[in-house]
Amino acid sequence: MLKTVFGGNTEQKVIDSIKKHMQILYSASECFKKGLQELNKDQMYCVADLEREGDSVRREIISTIYEGAFLPFLRTNICRFIEIVDEAFDVLKDAASEFENLGPKLDQEIREDCIQIADINQQMCDMLIIAFDTLFSKGDLREKTLAIRIYEKKVDDMKFDLISKLRKKEVKDFWEGKTLSDFISYLTHISDVIEDASDYLHIINLSMR
Amino acid sequence: MKVDEIMTKKLEIISADASIYDAIERMIDKRIRSLLVKPRDEHDVNGVITVRDIVHKALGKNLDLNKTKVAEIMSKPVVCIDKGTDLEHAVNLMTKFNITRVFVNEGKEILGIISLLDVMSAALITRAREGHGA
Repeated sequence: MLKTVFGGNTEQKVIDSIKKHMQILYSASECFKKGLQELNKDQMYCVADLEREGDSVRREIISTIYEGAFLPFLRTNICRFIEIVDEAFDVLKDAASEFENLGPKLDQEIREDCIQIADINQQMCDMLIIAFDTLFSKGDLREKTLAIRIYEKKVDDMKFDLISKLRKKEVKDFWEGKTLSDFISYLTHISDVIEDASDYLHIINLSMR
Repeated sequence: MKVDEIMTKKLEIISADASIYDAIERMIDKRIRSLLVKPRDEHDVNGVITVRDIVHKALGKNLDLNKTKVAEIMSKPVVCIDKGTDLEHAVNLMTKFNITRVFVNEGKEILGIISLLDVMSAALITRAREGHGA
């Protein structure tokens, strides 16, 4: 069955490109974490660069699909999956952009939590790649998507704590408060988007049966 | 896998003289199931109060939640393991003492806590990663 659905050359080209797309997302999240650890906003420019690279791979994938790769009933779900991964790029880029505005204003206690969240986001990207690979092997996709949900729950709990800490923090002006709030929102939203992407993998898996 | 790789660093601390009602409020606000009770002085040791203590030792016995102190129903001393301990050893301790969480320490300092849910989550993630590198 898998060979019938994914066996052609154009299909293989799409699969390889989707893997590349997700690898770029992993690299971007790694780069983001490094920037946060080193408090280096110049390091964050690589996130925008990788997002642009991801965009170009996404366009290539969509074009190949509409040139005729995959059976028509699968195309919509695969395209939607790619769009969701692309949304993860956008949210990560937004977080990086807010960090550039924040810079050293991010206090130590909050920064440590943010680094931990960035690390979980990176692990989620890795798990998404593993889950995607499982579509073409005999592995159990269900346990990979469960792992992604566990990671997401961790981020959710940390978000709750972070917001409590933020409420106690004195904010000097409107823009400082807004930038910090937006940064935390984007950072904690990445895991939601990756979870949505993993849900779509499950839908693709079901539609192949 | 070592315990410090999966422990929760979020530790909520309460005084032994606080009321059980204070402890309940804190657990609900922070969405947690246990609180570390700080020692009264340098000769004292840490204790722990859990949802189980509150249900069985206070609510089940109709104690006045506002008047009863945390010290009266807490467990002491807490079960601790060194941060470099294998996860397997932590699970063995939980089974041996029939407890659902152990504290992780480095010397005299308590760094975090491991619950059964943390162990289960770590095991499931490890399982999902099997055959795909670290």
